[in-house]
Amino acid sequence: MAAVKETVDAVVELERYKYGFTSDVDTEFAPKGLNADIVRFISEKKGEPQWMLEWRLAAYERWLAMEEPTWASVRYEPVDYQDLHYYAAPKQKEGPKSLDEVDPELLEVYRKLGIPLKEQEVLAGVQGAPKVAVDAVFDSVSVVTTFKAELAKAGVIFMPISEALREHPELVRQYLGTVVPVSDNYFAALNSAVFSDGSFVYVPPGVRCPMELSTYFRINASQTGQFERTLIIADKGSYVSYLEGCTAPMRDENQLHAAVVELVALDDAEIKYSTVQNWYPGDAEGRGGIYNFVTKRADCRGDRSKVSWTQVETGSAVTWKYPSCLLKGEESSGEFYSIAITNGRQQADTGTKMVHLGKNSKSRIIAKAVSAGRSDSTYRGLVSVHPKATGVRNFTQCDSLLIGKECGSHTIPYIEARNGSAQLEHEATTTRLSEDQLFYAQQRGLSEEEAVALLVNGFVRDVLQELPMEFAVEAQKLVAISLEGSVG
Amino acid sequence: MTAQRLDLRDPSSFPSRRVEAWKYTDVRRLLRDTPPASPEAEVAPGGPFAALGGEELAFVNGRCEGFPGIVAKGRGEAPMRLRFVSTADGAGHQPEAAIEVTAGSRLVLLESHEGRAAGYVANTRLKISVGEGASLTRIVLGEDAADALAFVRAEVTLSPGATFEQVTATDGARLQRFETHVSHPGQGASVRMDGLYALSGERHADLTSVVTHAGLDGQTSQLVKGVVRDTARGVFQGKIVVERGADGTDARMAHNALILSERGEVDAKPELIIYADDVQCAHGNTVGTLDESALFYMQQRGLPAEEARALLTQAFLFEVVDRIEHDGAREGVREWLTARL
Repeated sequence: MAAVKETVDAVVELERYKYGFTSDVDTEFAPKGLNADIVRFISEKKGEPQWMLEWRLAAYERWLAMEEPTWASVRYEPVDYQDLHYYAAPKQKEGPKSLDEVDPELLEVYRKLGIPLKEQEVLAGVQGAPKVAVDAVFDSVSVVTTFKAELAKAGVIFMPISEALREHPELVRQYLGTVVPVSDNYFAALNSAVFSDGSFVYVPPGVRCPMELSTYFRINASQTGQFERTLIIADKGSYVSYLEGCTAPMRDENQLHAAVVELVALDDAEIKYSTVQNWYPGDAEGRGGIYNFVTKRADCRGDRSKVSWTQVETGSAVTWKYPSCLLKGEESSGEFYSIAITNGRQQADTGTKMVHLGKNSKSRIIAKAVSAGRSDSTYRGLVSVHPKATGVRNFTQCDSLLIGKECGSHTIPYIEARNGSAQLEHEATTTRLSEDQLFYAQQRGLSEEEAVALLVNGFVRDVLQELPMEFAVEAQKLVAISLEGSVG
Repeated sequence: MTAQRLDLRDPSSFPSRRVEAWKYTDVRRLLRDTPPASPEAEVAPGGPFAALGGEELAFVNGRCEGFPGIVAKGRGEAPMRLRFVSTADGAGHQPEAAIEVTAGSRLVLLESHEGRAAGYVANTRLKISVGEGASLTRIVLGEDAADALAFVRAEVTLSPGATFEQVTATDGARLQRFETHVSHPGQGASVRMDGLYALSGERHADLTSVVTHAGLDGQTSQLVKGVVRDTARGVFQGKIVVERGADGTDARMAHNALILSERGEVDAKPELIIYADDVQCAHGNTVGTLDESALFYMQQRGLPAEEARALLTQAFLFEVVDRIEHDGAREGVREWLTARL
């Protein structure tokens, strides 16, 4: 009986979205709705320079003139942009001077999320354990950034973008909006007008960032949109690895997350950007969950520069996301490794764009989609080769796995080749989980769910291997949890 | 979006590249108004498949005297030649034809689109139905003028157990599109839908297809290959839809293209839209140029570079030709292609 009880408990535990708690943090809101005054309010709150306010207002004007895109294979209740708070911040009297001054409720949230914010905790850990510097963004503001001093020694700037706007305005101004222009798309324009925080990273020439950088995004307040903005610049010959994790409470309302991430890699620089996206996906009937409408783009400006995107997408009710690379530098290279898992009524339309502008630029795309329940998953990608880009090479592989009769899986890759010397290859397959393999695994004593988790982990292995160690373990568990209840 | 049908009488139906299904074939850029109607004309019997005999039906400038539609009965071996001939400079026409292959029958349809004028606009629409257990082989040759705008849209409805084999071979036009929509009921029906394009100069050819699997155990196989030279542009858009419940579907699609010039262009969009889980679907898509090591090997053995190149290109495209089952049609297409390489 004990074993039965344990199993029941385990299942109950697994069915729960682990990060679905809300925390009672005293929060300051901007009034609902969006207008030029709200944009001014946010800019003033952040103590921004005048040029930044003007930039935001221009973005707001552009946004007003744009229409929400409808081409993605997703359906959702339209967002009422006037019924959202565009700014929510945990209340603090003064900026905290150290972690001890941060609201204990907040620290509790991060403890629950399993994110070590206290540097000593990390240091007290296993000898030689890799260090990770963390920037934690709670609703609209960054609450804490760790290891700043040690990073500064190496010359690396890692801080909330709101702080960077004050301390390094020249750097921010030089690069902000140069990869994703304000008018790039509807959500990018919205983000440009109202973004409140996010991370800023600058790695100076020749520096290999001494530790992984990481940001945890948390939407806590209800009826709030999160609009973070991340800007990472890797100067000549530098290297940085950046991790991003996201969670949100369970609510039966849909919340909007519209982020913009811009990466700039100069000559010989390399950026590795990894995401584990686990926003609340909504319940089994599709109530609630995050709308994840994100613009991520890397500009491989320098010769021999390299950007690698790795994403594990398991959360969100609706995902609309195409981390891309503009391969401008000669011999620059872009990589995209993706796992998208949808269950319940989730919808994901995700993929990448590799735009080859530089001679001998290379790209590689490995996308794995797993759909279960009544979910829908679409891979949408573009590989384009411009007339002057000779010697371009691309390899793309998209595999989809279907679990159950009511899900959908779609593959829409575009190839646009305008140069005779390009070599582009794309292959895609769609199948269901093999009955033979399931049977084999079950025969050897695994339960059906364990067998599914094992096989799916095998299916996505190529991508999991690209994740930094700390994330790989978490992601593997997440894969299993996301598929709970998808069989039988 | 595929619902948008080009109608020459209605300029608002001319799609621009903003319409997703016409992204790579922008009609509006070249055609804004309804062209003047093509006059009546006559042509002598013949056409590219004349040597294969069989009955001939010719639409000249969109007209075919007393055309009742084609109804094929029985399992005769003689092919039927369906010709669409354009003879009026700068004029437009919009022929429509219906073809029915009754249950258990067999038809080999040799269709040619022949340009005998400059700058015409032809918009051909076909409705084809293939009855239970019937078989249709449709070979389409595009021989349009270099400055013509030519569009062919075929809607094919298959019944259970039907066999549909189609090969489209074309050398393009200023703007040319062959579009095929197949409604596939599964249940023993099978589809093979191949294509090839060999383009030079400033020509443009677009092979677009949508196969919708609505029933159990359907099969689809598709191989499209193309070669572009100079500043020509090849477009391939192939969509396979597997509807909910269409389990046991086996669908494979491949598109391979060679760009043999610096400024040639190939745009490809293969799509899999799948709503059933017990399926095997795959597509492959490659764009590249001739293999340097193969060229080197052949030259080492005494072949001049030009000849080696021609031989490799021919071998590349002949893979599609070799899949044509009807002997006469296969050799006819081979000859047609050889003359264009």
